[in-house]
Amino acid sequence: MPRVSLTVNGKPVSAEVEDRTLLVELLRETLRLTGTHVGCDTSQCGACVVHVNGDSIKSCTLLARQAEGAEVVTIEGLAAADGTLHPMQEAFREYHALQCGFCTPGMVMSAIDLVKKNPQGLSEQEIREGLEGNLCRCTGYHNIVKAIDAAQQVMHGKVKELPRAAAE
Amino acid sequence: MGSYLRPTSLPEALAALAATPRIVLAGGTDYYPARVGRPPEDDLLDITAIPALAGIAETEEGWRIGAATTWTEVVEAPLPPLFDGLKAAAREVGGAQIQNAGTVAGNLCNASPAADGIPNLLALGATVHLASASGDRVLPVAEFVHGNRRTARRADEIVTAIHIPGPKRAARSVFLKLGARRYLVISIVMVAAVAEFDEDGTIASARIAVGSCSAAAVRLPALEAALAGQRPDPALVAEAHLAPLSPIDDVRASAAYRRDAALTLLRRAVEALR
Repeated sequence: MPRVSLTVNGKPVSAEVEDRTLLVELLRETLRLTGTHVGCDTSQCGACVVHVNGDSIKSCTLLARQAEGAEVVTIEGLAAADGTLHPMQEAFREYHALQCGFCTPGMVMSAIDLVKKNPQGLSEQEIREGLEGNLCRCTGYHNIVKAIDAAQQVMHGKVKELPRAAAE
Repeated sequence: MGSYLRPTSLPEALAALAATPRIVLAGGTDYYPARVGRPPEDDLLDITAIPALAGIAETEEGWRIGAATTWTEVVEAPLPPLFDGLKAAAREVGGAQIQNAGTVAGNLCNASPAADGIPNLLALGATVHLASASGDRVLPVAEFVHGNRRTARRADEIVTAIHIPGPKRAARSVFLKLGARRYLVISIVMVAAVAEFDEDGTIASARIAVGSCSAAAVRLPALEAALAGQRPDPALVAEAHLAPLSPIDDVRASAAYRRDAALTLLRRAVEALR
């Protein structure tokens, strides 16, 4: 079988894959990074979003071999070694931006790419539009949008600490 | 089980295609979803590692969009108002992740009747550059797209780039798309318009194309003629101008609805050219 070499979450990885193996299968089944989910298999739901060379992509729509030499970051690669969460993860927790959690890894990965590519800051409407490729079926969007808004303030250095969610 | 090749040079890719027909793959955003649950049997040729196919460049005649150029690259490129329509299409091709992976040339070669790129390329007067081991050729987009999922590309050919001629005068463009939702859905009707203007604000020439209303997107020559020499005015759009369209009834819309929506979008597009 052919071999693919890439960097996953900062570590070099080399694995034998079939030509037909999708990136998400390599991540989940070979590397056991099961935080990346497969919801629809058809590039609609966004549960499988990871970063490839700094861009968010749907890993169910890329062959593992197409990622040869690429830098891949998954949800497992966000938190610091000491367990400190990425501001986006922290914000999703603080704002209860999930219910069942299935879409969450993809939401977080898409949200980070969206915020990074928009250093001028995003309005609520722009955040909602930026999430067009990610579906949440628990109707969690409202809190997801709030979380991303809070996280962008931390990521852009506008505030040091994540703004706390209002007590319900 | 098919085989997968990812050459790093164009001659290597052309030699591979000359030896065996293969599915030419770039972003793959339409390729995989159509094959879920089926054993993969195709031989694949992945063209995303070929530097000669990358990026957007200004040329003496206009612009060149390399075959591996993604929609995101189109959005991010510093391009003149001539490309506003193509950029609008780029922002609405699926979500951000699809725009990051999918390519303009892939959208063209896939030749869906609802391909968002094709009406824009027709309106831009784009040409398709093809290469093979036995030689290169250039075709206008209208001659390249033959119908639903059918193109003039031979099995041994690769589309290397799309070329867009520079306008002779000040040019503006617009793209309007109707779908059940704005993103992530297959378009019901699309209108792309490019117009060049004389200094007095009248239209010197216009190219108007409609997608999703025939097996392949088409231009509307009668409407283009009616607009020439006039200031952009929605009242210039007449039902008779829709004659080249042949919309169908399907799950997304009836033919009558498509025809009506096309007329509305055309009027809005002309209004937007003002």
